[in-house]
Amino acid sequence: MTSSRHVRWLTAGVAVVALTAAPAPSQAQSFYTEAGKPYAGTTIRVLDEITPLQETLSKIVPEFEKETGIKVEWELLNHFEVISKGQADMVSGRGYYDAVMLHGFQMGPMLTAGVIRPIDDLVKNPKLSNPALNQDDFIQGPYKSTSFYKGKQYGFVNWNYNQVYWARADLLNDPTEQAAFKAKYGYDLAPAKTIEQMRDIAEFFTRKKGSMLAGKPLDSDFYGIILEGIKGGSTFLSMWGNFIKNYGGDIMDADGKPTFDRPENVAAIQMWASLWKFAPPGTAEASLVDVPTIMGNGIAAQTIAWSDFVLGIDRPGKSPYAGKFVYAPIPTKAGREASPAVESEISVTVISSASKKPEPTFLFLQWLAEQKQQEKLLTTGEGGVPARNSSWALPVLTQSPLKGLFTAMKASLDVSTGKPKMPKFYEVYDELTGLSQEIGLGKVSPEDGAKRGQQIMVKHCGQSCLL
Amino acid sequence: MTLAHELDERDGGGSAVAGPSPARTTARASFWYPYLLIAPTMLTLTIVSLIPFVYAIYLSFHQAKYGRVTDFIGFDNYVTLFTDARFWNAMGVALTFVAIAVPIEFMLGLAGALVLNQNIRGRSILVPFLFVPTMMAPIVVGLLWKIMLAGSWGLISYNVLERFGLIGGTSIFASPNLALYALIFVDIWQWTPFMMLAFFAGLQALPLGPYRAAAVDGAGSLQIFFRLTLPMLAPLLAVIGLLRLIDAFKVFDTVFILTGGGPGIATETPSMLAYKMTFEFWNIGEASAFAIIVWIAFFVFCNVFYQIAKKRLNAF
Repeated sequence: MTSSRHVRWLTAGVAVVALTAAPAPSQAQSFYTEAGKPYAGTTIRVLDEITPLQETLSKIVPEFEKETGIKVEWELLNHFEVISKGQADMVSGRGYYDAVMLHGFQMGPMLTAGVIRPIDDLVKNPKLSNPALNQDDFIQGPYKSTSFYKGKQYGFVNWNYNQVYWARADLLNDPTEQAAFKAKYGYDLAPAKTIEQMRDIAEFFTRKKGSMLAGKPLDSDFYGIILEGIKGGSTFLSMWGNFIKNYGGDIMDADGKPTFDRPENVAAIQMWASLWKFAPPGTAEASLVDVPTIMGNGIAAQTIAWSDFVLGIDRPGKSPYAGKFVYAPIPTKAGREASPAVESEISVTVISSASKKPEPTFLFLQWLAEQKQQEKLLTTGEGGVPARNSSWALPVLTQSPLKGLFTAMKASLDVSTGKPKMPKFYEVYDELTGLSQEIGLGKVSPEDGAKRGQQIMVKHCGQSCLL
Repeated sequence: MTLAHELDERDGGGSAVAGPSPARTTARASFWYPYLLIAPTMLTLTIVSLIPFVYAIYLSFHQAKYGRVTDFIGFDNYVTLFTDARFWNAMGVALTFVAIAVPIEFMLGLAGALVLNQNIRGRSILVPFLFVPTMMAPIVVGLLWKIMLAGSWGLISYNVLERFGLIGGTSIFASPNLALYALIFVDIWQWTPFMMLAFFAGLQALPLGPYRAAAVDGAGSLQIFFRLTLPMLAPLLAVIGLLRLIDAFKVFDTVFILTGGGPGIATETPSMLAYKMTFEFWNIGEASAFAIIVWIAFFVFCNVFYQIAKKRLNAF
C-alpha cells in the first residue's frame, strides 16, 4: 500500500468516526425523535437481502432505534431465501415481517397478489412524513419506475443494483497484448465500448494452458469472458437487459404483447450465445456469485457483473488482482451507443399488507432513504450503490480507489429503469432462463430459441404480459 | 372372551336393579380404552396429515393463486398438468432416477452387507464410517458435491476431468447429458451405505439353525444364499427397497443445490417442479393437483407392491 493510499484510508476512517460519533442534532433527527414517540417500544421486523451493502447498513440501523425508541429486527437472508421467505410471509397474510425488500421483478406478482400496502396515506401524513426527505434527489429513472404503479406509491428505493462492464486492466494495458490485438483486429485494445469489441476481446484472450499471457506462461486454461449461465439467478435478465435491449429489441412491446422472435432479438441472442465459446466450461453453472469469484481468481479477462459484488472482490486482500481491474459502462451494439440499455435490478422495501405496524415501519423506511443515512451507508461501507443523485459527489466515491467503478455505475443508473410489472414474471422467467442455458450450451439454436421464447411468453401471458 | 364378558361374569351376569351397574360402566370404559390409547396418535395424524391432504384435494379443484382460493374449476388443474410437457418430463426424470439409482443402491448395499457379515477385519471401525453419508443433511451433501464437481473450480472437475480432458467444453452439472447421471451418482453415494447397514442388521438377526442344518446337508454357499438367506431376508429387502424407492422419487435437496433442475429442465424432478409451482409461481391449485396425482400413483403402486410382497415374499 502506498503512503498516499494510507492517507486516503486514514481520512476515510476519520470521516466515518466523525459521521457516526458526532451528535449533530439536525432537523431530521429531531423530526424522527418526535415522530417516533407514539411508537417507542414497538418492535418492527424487516427482511432484507444479505450483500456487503446490507451488512454495512446493519451497523447504522441501531441509530434509528436510539433516535426513535422503535426496535428494529433486521433480518438478512440470501437472494433466493429473501424472495421465497419474504413472499411466503406476505402472501400467507401472516405478517411476521412488517417490511420486505422486493426486487423489481417481484413487484408485478406481489401487486397482483395484493399484498403490498400503498404508502400514499403515510406520505401525506404530516406527523410521519419528513418534509426534508427530498424525493427529487432520488435517481429518478429507477425510483419512479419501481416505487410507483398507477399513481400509487409503494415504497422508497433502497438498492439500485446494476450491472457494469468489468475487465482486467493489467491485460488490456499490456504492451505485448495491445500490439498483438491491434495486429489481429485493426483497432486499439481497450475496455469494450461495443458488444462486438467485447466479443473480439473474449476471442483474443481465450488461451490454452502453456500459452503466453501478458508475457507469462499460463499454468491453466484462460478464458476471454465469464457470463452468468446458471438456471435462475439473473442469467436471462442479463441477456435481456444487456444484449436484447442493446440490439434495439425487447421481449414485449409497450402494451406487453410478446415480441420474443423479432429479428433484433435473434441477432442479440446469437451474439450472447457466441460468447459462451470463450467462457469457462462451467458457465451454465455460474451464478451471480460465481462470476465475480472467477474474476477475482483471475480465470477470465472480462465480464458483465453486478456492480455491488465488485465491492467484495476489488479490495486489497480480497483478490490477488485487486487494483488491476477496470470498469466501464455496459457495451452497446455498434451504432447504438446513443441509446444504451443496461440490466439493473432496482429494489424497493415495501410494507406488507398484513403488517400491523405500518406507521413505525414507514418511519424506518423513510429514515433509511434519507440523504444523511445514504451518505453514512456509502461512507461506512467505503462505497456502495447510490440511491440518490447527491451521493455521487461524496468524497468516498469521487476519491475512491474504485472511482472508475462508480463512474461506470453512474452511467448504468442514468439509463436504468425498473422491471416491467409482470404478474406471471416467475413462470415466464423460469422457462426463459432454462431456454437461455440450452441456447448457451448449443442445444438449441438462437433462431429456434427465439421461437420457443415467443411460445413460452404467449402461453403464459396471452396478449399482454403486463399488469 | 373379552374383558367385558369376563368382568360381566365375575359380577354374576347382570344386576337385578334397573340402571347401569358398576360392571356395565366398567365394561363400557374398557371398550373405549384401546381407542383412548391410540387417540393421541390419530389426532396428531388427522391434524398434520389428513386435514392438509383433504385440503389439498379441495385446492386441486379450485383456482388458487397467491394463496387466494377463488373459483371451483373441476378437473382443469389436472387437465393442465396432463397436457403440460414439463409435467411429463419431471415424471420421466424421476422414473429414470429411481430406475437407475435404487437398483444400484440395492445391489451394492446387499453385496456390502454380505461382505460385512463375513466378520471381516476392521468391521467395528468401518461400520460407524458408513453412517456418515446418510447422517449428512442432503443440503450438505449437495454442497459437498458442488465443491467436488462444479465447473472450472470443483476439486475433481478442475484437477481431474478438465486437466486430463475427460470432458471437453462443458462441466458435469452444465451438461444436459451428464447432469442427471451425476445426481444419480450422488444419491448412490449417499444412500448405499444406509442400505448396506440395514441389510447387515437384517443378516445379523437371521437365525443360525437353518444354516447349521444346511451345512450338515452339504449345501453350497450359493445354494445357502438363494435358498436360505434371500428368502429369510426378503421381508426386510422389500420394506427397505420400497422405502428407498419412494424416497428417491421425491428427491429434492441435492437437485435444488446442484442443478436447480437444469440445464434447461434436464434434471427437473416432480418435487422440484412442485416446489416451483408452489413457492415461485404461487400456483397453489395446480401444485395441489400435482401432489394428488403423485399420491394416487404411489398409493396404487404401494398397494400392488404390498399384495405381491405379502403373497410372494411373505413380507408384511
